[in-house]
Amino acid sequence: MSLLPSFALIRAASVAEVVAARRSHADCQLLAGGTDLIANLRHGLGSPTALIDITGLPGMQEIAADPADIRIGVGVTLARLVDDALIRRYFPALADAAATVAASTHRASATLGGNLCLDTRCVFYNQSEWWRQSNDFCLKHRGTVCHVAPTGNRCHAAYSGDTAPVLLVLGAQAELGGADGTRWIALDELFHDDGAAHLTLGADEMLLSVRLPIEPGLLAGYEKARLRGAIDFPLAGVAVSLRRKGDALAELRIALTGTNSRPWLVSGCEALNGRPLDAEALRQISKLVQKQVAPMRTTIAPAHYRRRVAAALACRLAGRLFAAAATT
Amino acid sequence: MTKLHEPAVGRRLPLVDGIEKVSGRAAYTADLPAHALVGRILRSPYAHAELLDVDVAAARALPGVVAVITGADCDKTFGVLPISMDEYPLARGRLRYRGEPVAAVAAVDEETAERALALIRLSVRELPAYFSAETARAPGAVLLHDNHPGNVLRAVHDEFGDLAAGFAAADLVREAHYRCAEVAHGQIEPHAALAEYDAERQRLTLYSVTQVPYYLHLMLARCLGFEESQIRVVKPFVGGGFGARVEPLNFEIVAALLARAARGTVRLNLTREETFLTHRGRPETEIRVKLGMTRQGRLTAVACDVVQRGGAYASYGIITILYAGSLLHGIYDIPAVKYDGCRVQTNTPPCGAMRGHGSVDARHAFECLLDTMAAELGLDPFAVRRANLLATPTQTANGIIINSYGLPECLDWVQEASGWQRRKGRLPPGRGLGMACSHYVSGAGKPIHRTGEPHAVVELRLDFDGGITILTGAADIGQGSSTMLTQAVAEIVGVDLGRLRIIATDSAVTPKDNGSYSSRVTFMVGNAAIDAARQLRDILLGAAARKLESPPDRIECVDERFRVIGGEGPGLAFREVAAAALAQGGSIIVKGTFTVPVEYQGGKHRGGAVGSTMALSYAAQVVEVDVDADTGMVRVEKVWVAHDCGRAINPLAVEGQVQGSVWMGMAQALGEETRYEGGLPLHASLLGYPIPTIVESPPIEMHIVECLDPNGPFGAKEASEGSLASFLPAVTNAIADAVGLRMTELPITPDRILEALARRQRDSRIAAARGAAS
Repeated sequence: MSLLPSFALIRAASVAEVVAARRSHADCQLLAGGTDLIANLRHGLGSPTALIDITGLPGMQEIAADPADIRIGVGVTLARLVDDALIRRYFPALADAAATVAASTHRASATLGGNLCLDTRCVFYNQSEWWRQSNDFCLKHRGTVCHVAPTGNRCHAAYSGDTAPVLLVLGAQAELGGADGTRWIALDELFHDDGAAHLTLGADEMLLSVRLPIEPGLLAGYEKARLRGAIDFPLAGVAVSLRRKGDALAELRIALTGTNSRPWLVSGCEALNGRPLDAEALRQISKLVQKQVAPMRTTIAPAHYRRRVAAALACRLAGRLFAAAATT
Repeated sequence: MTKLHEPAVGRRLPLVDGIEKVSGRAAYTADLPAHALVGRILRSPYAHAELLDVDVAAARALPGVVAVITGADCDKTFGVLPISMDEYPLARGRLRYRGEPVAAVAAVDEETAERALALIRLSVRELPAYFSAETARAPGAVLLHDNHPGNVLRAVHDEFGDLAAGFAAADLVREAHYRCAEVAHGQIEPHAALAEYDAERQRLTLYSVTQVPYYLHLMLARCLGFEESQIRVVKPFVGGGFGARVEPLNFEIVAALLARAARGTVRLNLTREETFLTHRGRPETEIRVKLGMTRQGRLTAVACDVVQRGGAYASYGIITILYAGSLLHGIYDIPAVKYDGCRVQTNTPPCGAMRGHGSVDARHAFECLLDTMAAELGLDPFAVRRANLLATPTQTANGIIINSYGLPECLDWVQEASGWQRRKGRLPPGRGLGMACSHYVSGAGKPIHRTGEPHAVVELRLDFDGGITILTGAADIGQGSSTMLTQAVAEIVGVDLGRLRIIATDSAVTPKDNGSYSSRVTFMVGNAAIDAARQLRDILLGAAARKLESPPDRIECVDERFRVIGGEGPGLAFREVAAAALAQGGSIIVKGTFTVPVEYQGGKHRGGAVGSTMALSYAAQVVEVDVDADTGMVRVEKVWVAHDCGRAINPLAVEGQVQGSVWMGMAQALGEETRYEGGLPLHASLLGYPIPTIVESPPIEMHIVECLDPNGPFGAKEASEGSLASFLPAVTNAIADAVGLRMTELPITPDRILEALARRQRDSRIAAARGAAS
């Protein structure tokens, strides 16, 4: 690992302090668990003059039930999400997704917010400074060409967080805070399909919390495709939520990670509602997924595999949840 | 005679340095305390270029920079094989791979060193670069080295027996093509070196992660222009080798040159990326193998063609391409064997020796084709192996003498333990069983340097404190050589393990050892230790005999008490006998040696030394897999492995080594591969290079077969490499059993499984359509 840049560490106690710190320091980054940020900084991906520790902000560490919702502060660690009684009870898919991230030592520090805002990834980007300089850098950072699609003009780095797709299919909302107070948006609006600018946060804005509606009878799950059973980012990650009404599918939602530059809520799932989840329906799900994912050569594993396995996992997960719903 | 009620040999003993390791007290090279400058290497961003100039003026002028060196500071090449010393510590005249060291700085801190590197300017003229054996060998390709036409470092052509007659006698002749990706050692400790230069006395001490302190010592002297006596090489704790460190490495010599230029101490700690760039891994290999077999499964002939993509410098390459051919012999009885090998140089990091050196990929191809042909003939794979067993003692066509051969017992055990007969063909869909065999040398019979010296030397010291010190140059890299030596000496001298301490790998203190490679240490250094221990034992028995006024052959020592045989009374304690022995002439030092007899140093044909050994280990493996046809993931459910290591001096250590071999084979078979983009490594981190985690580590049931070797120490043979190669074909054959796919490319990643399944579906649809149409 290489040397970290010199930076000031500022511990903020309020959103206002975060805003002020950002305005008074050129090029600063927010720091929670740092498990992604510090690794990237050691690769020379950025040289912030200040890091702002946001873990002390009010509400950051809370998991609380409003009657119809669960609100999770983005400073909650992934380890806590895995074990928390409320999460396990109402959103076990979120606990399962959190449990797939990296390894236990990361999860002890890594946060929900960090995982949601995870920097996009690419084999041409996540390399040392020497490596990237030898390759003339890249469109995402200090260069002009996207090595994955050299004739194009956008970055294709892949979104790689595991919790986002689960939160999307569960209908999550995100609380943003900035100079002008706080606001709520659909989580889906937080993301933008551009590997170099995948978050829609304003310059002064930060993520504060996430809110999930408690929906009895809604089943959800998450499956992750990767070469190893730990450590690896998703080659493709699939979250599915659905209800079952008799023998018919209802409220099917599918979201993906690892396959596009943003977590991807699959459109067109409504067409499958009201029907049984039979072979034809599974074929349609597979087609929907394969058409909407756009994996590029951002990983050593071939892109066509990530497309195929995303579809296979979507079908398998939908089938598993549909069968489980019959017995509940 | 001496006797221990609890024998030291054969005891399941935790490693003698285990406490240091698990408590964190063990000091590895990067842990050693020193007031040192920070060393950093500037690495070539060019895959292939003429190096016109290296401008270090601005770097030298930076405050805090103490020394900057380039290729101009060392015009001597180095290399582990005397016949192919083709590397400069810092590039001169030509850059041949991205990552090659070009310059180095020593500065007061990391930040200054980093900034100094950025100030160094290279002037180059780029050349065409070649990243595959095919493109490097193509007509018109620019030569990486002027003395290797066609970019071929070495071509090998060997033929034994009558090949034509062999294939003519076969009922079935089949040929297949296999490809194995390049892999890296992935040892947990990144490379590091600490060089202390005493400018006043012109003395250098180098602490390093080396497996071969002696070879490093020679190359340091050569590159520094020093007498060897001016140099001291020390190996502290090492976090794994597997072949990554069985040769003098560029950064070690760079550290020494930097320390001399800086007139002080320099610490050179490499990042994981730099460790991957230093490489010396197993090369990307293409194998064409052709086998002839009778209907009964008897092998009649084999022809094997191997092409290895060796990278930019020779390293061990000449030996690697020879091992691929020589270890076609020595496991089965094959009347005719033809081998053609080609080691090609390319603009990628140099490959070297890696666990199983050269034999692994060729063994994989052989055992896969054997399995394919067995299936075609309707023969059980175990039956085919049994139809081709060697009758030992024997000598192979290529001159290897075999005195011990435990393969039959290995086969029997894994077949029984896995329930093969009962379960094969009756497993649920997606599950399969596969088997394969492998073997490896217990030390190369012929040393790399023909000095005339013994092949191993061990010294023992006994002084007034009553403790026995083992002095050895043998490099314990985690494989447990120090423990093995402690057990061997304890057993022969007849003393408690606690009376022994071991000092290893400090060239100022310990006798020379050739190094920890080719699995030579137990066999050769173990035998030398036995020789030394016998001498010490005889001195002690002699002293006891004098005190007890009996002839030495009437004295026995049982659990450190010396008595006349059949005598009564408490006898003499060890301290009394030691004191009596010391009274003769003060501190006692004995030297034991071992030399491989010339008949074990290989056949007379060119390259015949490679593969030569005094004893071979044997292994058989059964692997059970579960293949997920939706995701292409292959899960290894269980492994059964039997390894014939002759006498298991430490069964606990043997089990660990065999499990590690099997596991490393699994890693190569199912996921690991280096991947270059224009010569830049995409994989150079522990995230990018998918070494398996504990999650996918299968239960490994292991059985030690002790087919004692008459020449081995206590009958022991090697235990650390022989079991690796059989995993690759065993899992490949298991996948064939599970889903009917014969995978010919390693690693067998999920995408390759899905592609093969899709291809098969397409082919059968096409065939069905044709069938319907006709």
